[in-house]
Amino acid sequence: MATAASGAPKRARSPRLEFVGGQILAFVGAALFAGFVGGVIIVLYGENPLFVYATVLNYATARPEDIAQVAENATPLIFSGLAVAVAFKAGMFNIGVEGQYIVGMLTAAIAALYLDWLPGALLVPAVVVASVLGAVMWAAIPAVLKVKTGAHEVVTTIMMNGIAISLVAWAILNPLKSTGDQSVDLRTNLFPGKALMPSIAEPLGLPSSVHLTLLFPVALLACLFVWFFLYRTRLGYEVRAVGSSSGSAEAGGVSIGAAQIKVFLISGALAGFVGLNHLIGDKGYLGNNYEVGLGFAGIAVAFLGRNHPAGIALSALLIGVLIRGEDGIALSTELPTEVLIILQGVLILSVVVAYELVRRAVARRQLKEEAAVEAAAPATEH
Amino acid sequence: MPLIDLGAAIALGLRYFTILYLTALGGLFSERSGIVNIGLEGLMIVGTVMGAWGTVEYGPVAGLLIGALSGLVFSMVHALATVTFHVDHIVSGVVINLVAVGLARFLSALFFGQATQSDPGIPHLGSIDIPLLDRLPLGLGAAFSNMSPVVPVAFFMAVPTIYILNRTRFGLRLRSAGENPEAAETLGVRVAPLRYAGVAISGALAGFAGAFLAIEINQLFREGQTQGLGFIALAALILGNWTPIKVMIGSLLFGIAQAIPLRLSDAPVISLLPEEFIRMVPYVVTIIAIAGFVGRVHPPAAAGRAYEGSAA
Repeated sequence: MATAASGAPKRARSPRLEFVGGQILAFVGAALFAGFVGGVIIVLYGENPLFVYATVLNYATARPEDIAQVAENATPLIFSGLAVAVAFKAGMFNIGVEGQYIVGMLTAAIAALYLDWLPGALLVPAVVVASVLGAVMWAAIPAVLKVKTGAHEVVTTIMMNGIAISLVAWAILNPLKSTGDQSVDLRTNLFPGKALMPSIAEPLGLPSSVHLTLLFPVALLACLFVWFFLYRTRLGYEVRAVGSSSGSAEAGGVSIGAAQIKVFLISGALAGFVGLNHLIGDKGYLGNNYEVGLGFAGIAVAFLGRNHPAGIALSALLIGVLIRGEDGIALSTELPTEVLIILQGVLILSVVVAYELVRRAVARRQLKEEAAVEAAAPATEH
Repeated sequence: MPLIDLGAAIALGLRYFTILYLTALGGLFSERSGIVNIGLEGLMIVGTVMGAWGTVEYGPVAGLLIGALSGLVFSMVHALATVTFHVDHIVSGVVINLVAVGLARFLSALFFGQATQSDPGIPHLGSIDIPLLDRLPLGLGAAFSNMSPVVPVAFFMAVPTIYILNRTRFGLRLRSAGENPEAAETLGVRVAPLRYAGVAISGALAGFAGAFLAIEINQLFREGQTQGLGFIALAALILGNWTPIKVMIGSLLFGIAQAIPLRLSDAPVISLLPEEFIRMVPYVVTIIAIAGFVGRVHPPAAAGRAYEGSAA
């Protein structure tokens, strides 16, 4: 089209820059808005918002062990954010990360307890594989149902979450119940020490209360892997094509069903890592008070990070800061720590809204520019 | 003895039915207007804490109404995000659920001095006996005596719902916004306010149901007391194919399923089944239904889709 040709030289590189700049601006604006809303709540509670925010930041960054704690908090969130994002890129919503990692913890616990005859160097990988397999199995059911019967994955994964919670509750109370009677907690036996994920906190000279393990670098590697998969492989390309326009992808020869099943299983595999730091990096047993909500938090992390691996890592660290900040708030103020959960929610919604506003503004500008170019150069139009 | 238990189980099941049906009807209005609402659980959670506070301060009737009102107010976040700002309905719903947990703890700390629960034994409505039914033999009468007056009201909610959806201008327009917003707008129907209204009704009903749970069943606010009932209500909505009568049947089924492990755990056959497996029933049934193994379910055609509108 003539309009594109005449407009191109002037804006050869700028749209991309404009896009990134707009996104950063949107994020900063949204963060300020969320900070303001949080500030109003804090003032209503009779505290000073600036002091509260400074406390959060201080608790998260003052000492090396605080930073390590933030990284520990971020570890499961990176995995669950990636799991959500991979599926979303293929146009699917995996709200089932929650149930998938819970089942993964169950299969991992079974491996840790019953494969204890394996040497340590093999047991840890075996536990990881068991967790991934459990989660993939849980993801496979909605994936296959979607492709074969058209059952919407949002509905089926919500239901699979409910089933997973009851399944694990049953397993902890029955076949896996702790044999020792010294424990009043409802939980499995302690895993053998060689089933635990090696810590990287101790070699770094940090206190053992920080459960920073090898899973954190693995999470960062997973970001790289997902980036490479999405942007440098054939399947990744197909997945993004299906996600942005399934009609044209199909016309381009992509088998949508096959691509969707594969990517949903990859999503499930990533979900299999979500519960591991809690299970074999921290507790060393599966109790009925295991950490819940990490899968839903992954949805927040993914959208905060624009479903891009780098954005997800940063968002997970940001949420990790807020989680760490809860301790600071509890110790130095009278404020209920839940104010930070509310703040997270406001932040996520305002970020998503801000991206939408930027998208609309850019679209309006482009429309106006195109109209202007067309009006200015009617002669070139044939 | 088992028969008396059966009466008690049905009585409790009817109370759970009330929660599920009211919440699912709320979801029905929201989704028939085109807004998917997986935040029902969160709206219900806000209803539990606000309802408990309301009944402590002003009595149970006010508590139920305050629960409904706070659910409505909180649901406006979902409406603003999805209708006005075109945020993905699922993302917004997830955020509603995330924030509700934090908000409930925050409010509980504010109202009751502790984040996780109120004092037990908060005021509740007087109970009623259903004439004739309460004299049923074999212990079944227990199912219909000492009943919360909200339970029969919940049953009759199907009538106004059907009337509104099928016989009023508002209902027809609401459904057109959920089925084909472009066509609706062409005919001069403004889609956005209808969708706001649909979400508002879902917020009010889910908040009311949460308040009912806190006031009329548990007689306290306790963190986590909704136990995923919002998602089971969603299941009943889907299983009921987004129609009031079928949703009622689904809610009844799932409500009884909730009560069985609590009241009939010693009965024959049931004692052989682990409680956790009975809890899975609603979810498994819904997966089977949505996969099309029993009939077909049809969500509203435009549900989940943003409508850009002609004003832009």
